[in-house]
Amino acid sequence: MLKITPEELKLVAQYIHDISGIFLDQSKSYLFETRLGTIATEHGCNTYKELYQKAKTDPSKSIERKIIDAISTNETLFFRDKGPFELLQHKLLPELIDARTPSSTALKTNLKIWSAASSTGQELYSIAIIIKELLPNIANYSVKLLGTDISDGAVAQASRGKYNKFEMERGLPSDKLQRYFTMFGDSWTIKDDIRAMVQFKKLNLMMPFVGLGKFDIIFCRNVAIYFTLPDRQKLFNKIADSLADDGFLIIGSTESLTGICPRFVPKRHLRSIFYQKTS
Amino acid sequence: MNNMTILVVDDDPVIRKMLEKRLEKAGYEVLIAEDGYQARKMLPQQHIDVVLTDLMMPGSIGGLEVLDIAKNISPNIEVILITAHSSIDTAVEAMKKGAADYLEKPINFDELFLRLEKIANMQSIMRNALDLSQAMDTTESVASETIQNLEIMNAGLQSRLNTLEAILRDEQISTYERIDKAIDLLTA
Repeated sequence: MLKITPEELKLVAQYIHDISGIFLDQSKSYLFETRLGTIATEHGCNTYKELYQKAKTDPSKSIERKIIDAISTNETLFFRDKGPFELLQHKLLPELIDARTPSSTALKTNLKIWSAASSTGQELYSIAIIIKELLPNIANYSVKLLGTDISDGAVAQASRGKYNKFEMERGLPSDKLQRYFTMFGDSWTIKDDIRAMVQFKKLNLMMPFVGLGKFDIIFCRNVAIYFTLPDRQKLFNKIADSLADDGFLIIGSTESLTGICPRFVPKRHLRSIFYQKTS
Repeated sequence: MNNMTILVVDDDPVIRKMLEKRLEKAGYEVLIAEDGYQARKMLPQQHIDVVLTDLMMPGSIGGLEVLDIAKNISPNIEVILITAHSSIDTAVEAMKKGAADYLEKPINFDELFLRLEKIANMQSIMRNALDLSQAMDTTESVASETIQNLEIMNAGLQSRLNTLEAILRDEQISTYERIDKAIDLLTA
């Protein structure tokens, strides 16, 4: 494995922060080596500085994309950590539907949900499954489910909705697996009716959120942990701007907004916490 | 010592005996089925890591069917097919359906043992990953309880501080009244 020098660590860490907002601990050089080593060799680079220069000057940005794919963590599961999904099913969705249902039956109820770091799609598909099960008369609703991620690879896999047995192993109850997936060999593909409910696209959370509009529920779980404190503050401030006044924010179960965004107040429901904007 | 359990499925008694002897000598637990029907009976009844099955067997349960039965019981059961050269296309088809590998007749035992080692390594990595993820889940659930309690407590304190500030800044009442009310709030 190609070794990284202290100067290169600084250079590469800064570069990764610039392109993705991800803050990598420079004391963990193995992290850089295991994740970037193969990309360096693949592109005929003998040092990480060479890789950095190549990536920066590559007009197609393909090396940059590969670096982002390698650096971003894709640990995700269907229904990862039951709490947020139970919260969604038993509290947030029923409350929103009550609040949003128009008095005229000719109008559709609008629901917009955003999975802000959708990784390979499991979170958003889990949300789609819950909505499908909760709303038997789904035609009366206009449901927009958006998943965004910084990694092109993750967005592509999420869009395919195809998962191997290792990705399916945990989290998904077998009745849901049978009902919402088609199995072929060792892989499962999400069925078309669920696939049609969601949309995935690439988005760097450090950049301005252009054209996304306001959401009723935003999931932003386990991504801010990779950012510095000032970057987290900026991120949650932008998220507050993108959330409807009576909307809900869900963050990772071990994350906190204390000292990060005073615009949100935590509320408890059973064993979970969600956030709403302070009035 | 290999602690994997291997089910050998072959209608040829000579090959069966040979596989049983060689695998046992290498330290594997070996179970024997004389055909697909027997394999179908045995598979759900005991823990099996690897199925080593002939592709072509008499009756309607051949190697491909054994593969389906095994994968239906558990996707973690790995299946290696033994094929004649002429049926390689079918073997490739089987790989697409989830078979771990195929071996051509006559069986090259070095090759077989290599494949089995690869499967054992893979299974041990899978077990480690599962252990790690379970450890992570436990840590995460304990940490999240602490953090969520702190988050709610902090929000409560923050709201009391805001009320306190409003009381202390309240110009409608005297300084003494403000202090009294502030102390009431703090000792409530």
